[in-house]
Amino acid sequence: MNVNAVPSSTVGEIGLMAAEAVRELALKATGGSKISTYVEGPSPLAWNELVEGGWDLAGIVENGEGATRRDLVEIAIAWGEQLIPLPFMLTIVAKRHSPASLETDAPLTMALPIVSLPSGRSYLPFGQLDGILLVRDPGGSTDGVHSIPAGQADDLALSLHGIEADEISALSPQVARDVAIVLVAECVGGARQLLADGVSFVGTREQFGQPIGSFQAIKHHLANALIAVELAESTTIWASVDDTVSAAVLLFAVDQCIKTAEIVVQVHGGLGFTWEMGLHFYLRHMMMVREMVPGLIQLATIE
Amino acid sequence: MHDSENPRESIEEFGARADTWLSTSIPPRWKSERGALSTSESDAIRRDWDRTLSEAGFAGLSLPKEFGGQGMGLAEEVAFHVLAAKAQAPDGLARIGKILTAPLLVRFGTVAQQARYLPKILNGEEIWCQGFSEPTAGSDLASIASRATRVSGGYHIRGRKTWTSFVQHADRCLMLVQTDEQAPRYKNLSLFLVDMRQAGVTVDDIRQISGAVHFAEVQFTDVFVSDDDRVGADGEGWKLAMSILSDERGGAEAATRYVEIRSDIDALLETCGDRPDLAAELSALDIRAEALRWHLSKVVDLEGEQGEAFLRAVSVLKVVWSELWQDVTRAGWRAGNPDDREHWRFQYLESRSASIYSGTNEIQRNIMAERVLGLPR
Ligand SMILES: Cc1cc2nc3c(=O)[nH]c(=O)nc-3n(C[C@H](O)[C@H](O)[C@H](O)COP(=O)(O)OP(=O)(O)OC[C@H]3O[C@@H](n4cnc5c(N)ncnc54)[C@H](O)[C@@H]3O)c2cc1C
Repeated sequence: MNVNAVPSSTVGEIGLMAAEAVRELALKATGGSKISTYVEGPSPLAWNELVEGGWDLAGIVENGEGATRRDLVEIAIAWGEQLIPLPFMLTIVAKRHSPASLETDAPLTMALPIVSLPSGRSYLPFGQLDGILLVRDPGGSTDGVHSIPAGQADDLALSLHGIEADEISALSPQVARDVAIVLVAECVGGARQLLADGVSFVGTREQFGQPIGSFQAIKHHLANALIAVELAESTTIWASVDDTVSAAVLLFAVDQCIKTAEIVVQVHGGLGFTWEMGLHFYLRHMMMVREMVPGLIQLATIE
Repeated sequence: MHDSENPRESIEEFGARADTWLSTSIPPRWKSERGALSTSESDAIRRDWDRTLSEAGFAGLSLPKEFGGQGMGLAEEVAFHVLAAKAQAPDGLARIGKILTAPLLVRFGTVAQQARYLPKILNGEEIWCQGFSEPTAGSDLASIASRATRVSGGYHIRGRKTWTSFVQHADRCLMLVQTDEQAPRYKNLSLFLVDMRQAGVTVDDIRQISGAVHFAEVQFTDVFVSDDDRVGADGEGWKLAMSILSDERGGAEAATRYVEIRSDIDALLETCGDRPDLAAELSALDIRAEALRWHLSKVVDLEGEQGEAFLRAVSVLKVVWSELWQDVTRAGWRAGNPDDREHWRFQYLESRSASIYSGTNEIQRNIMAERVLGLPR
């Protein structure tokens, strides 16, 4: 639907197909096991499965044909739900822009700016992963893939297995915008999953002889989480289809995801505050994305 | 508490004396290397701090003198916490003993219990934990299932407690247990002072979302507790638990929280106070923190009367400080100051617990609505 000159939010065929496919692959790989059993270790889904399906190439545009940003959002949301520790979306964006990165089947990352780091230093998601390569100047004059520089592990977002290093990837506004959008869209998927987890938890946990979901305080919390997830999704889609929209809207979107996580932790009570329960893996992932977004926005903003 | 031979020092005099003492007594390593200390080093400093406080006469400020306290009021308690925070004093390990067990024993303990436990709470020799919550009884505390059965001279306790803070250090547990299967809800519980250094007590650490391990699940398998270590009568546990919970949500606790919040805000103002993009948010947080302090003063002033105004004022404390702290840590983390990035990430995650423990904020609001405002249940 097109409301008052707002661009259409409809997803394309490729977006729908790829989203469906990676959602299935991820669910099959985790087999419904608890997130705390896989997120910190090696991925339960082999990188090769994504490559064999050609899904790492899902973002490529040839002769004007291919996935739109809106499609990428759809794929990233699906991918974000299970928090599989692989740089799938970053690789898709890299291959969308960097011809040099098409030469390899390896997982790819980029060195992303973080405003609060000293200049010249950046964050490399999945920099701790074996066999991962760095794309330095995607689509630029020095486009190429490189080995990962030495760096220091950053353990906030355990699902991101990232490092900090003295390294900068030159990112064009287009690339920066794509990266920011897919990172935030992954958070939207995470927030959606958290909301679903919260809903199922409050339906079974009983206090005072009834499911806690029957208390209005809990209903309102989760209704607010629903509002947050919906707004996060709408704004992410909006940022993906309308280039004139300020990239700063993505900050709003990720904050809505964080709000969702806070609410879902709260309705879990003491359990929500435990490592084992695993809600924090999503929250930490969102926090790391929140730390990255301002730097990406600066790059994505064409003056 | 007026002593005619030795006229009570004014709150200003007390503050000046405490400030002077604090300025020379805080372990320098705590101030300068706090982030770098190992858990065992920091635990040792916190334990020592409890002893130092006691030797200097700053432990149990609001406890009556005959019980080893200083015979002062909530005002001095609050003032001291504020000064201690400003001076970056450590937080001791004796928190549960001081805030929960000690006031309970003063009001409801036997003379023997008071003599046996109060001195060691005040000098930090014995660390306490609070064994209330269970896997199936959190907000609905009255439904706890741990059970004490009669044996010669006392009881055997069986059951599981969870989210038990400080249990890794604890010598004793303030424990709520079912003693009567037949009695109706609220009349079937008793409160015990349980020795945690005996066979049958098994502690399984639980890691928290911040990565820290500050609570655990505790299994009790035929753990003995003597009749002498029951507080109040058999079946009076719920009434006593309510008194404990109101201490937990009361002024002394809020004062220690104010302190932590204030020091977080000060840190934020120091590093980001000149940032125009944060000015409005920081100023709002600053005002809320000071509102909390003024509100606490009001609670202190109303304390003597224990009337309706006091109950109204106290009832909002826990929600006010916990939500303020969460907003402060979120702002601190988002401000993205490179030098204290780790601090804010940790504090932000840690602060998520504040709306859960000591009675969740949903339960607090239910209490405000139903018991203070009198809305229908
Ligand atoms: C860091 C931390 C330290 C703790 N330390 C201790 C300790 O030392 N000793 C101890 O005994 N306990 C401790 N606790 C436990 C704490 O008191 C409980 O977690 C708390 O009472 C909630 O119980 P629960 O975890 O079972 O959650 P639940 O009671 O299952 O609550 C889940 C959700 O349902 C909501 N809910 C439940 N009932 C209602 C209702 N009637 N109306 C509206 N909403 C409702 C809650 O607010 C919450 O959002 C600690 C908890 C934490 C997080």
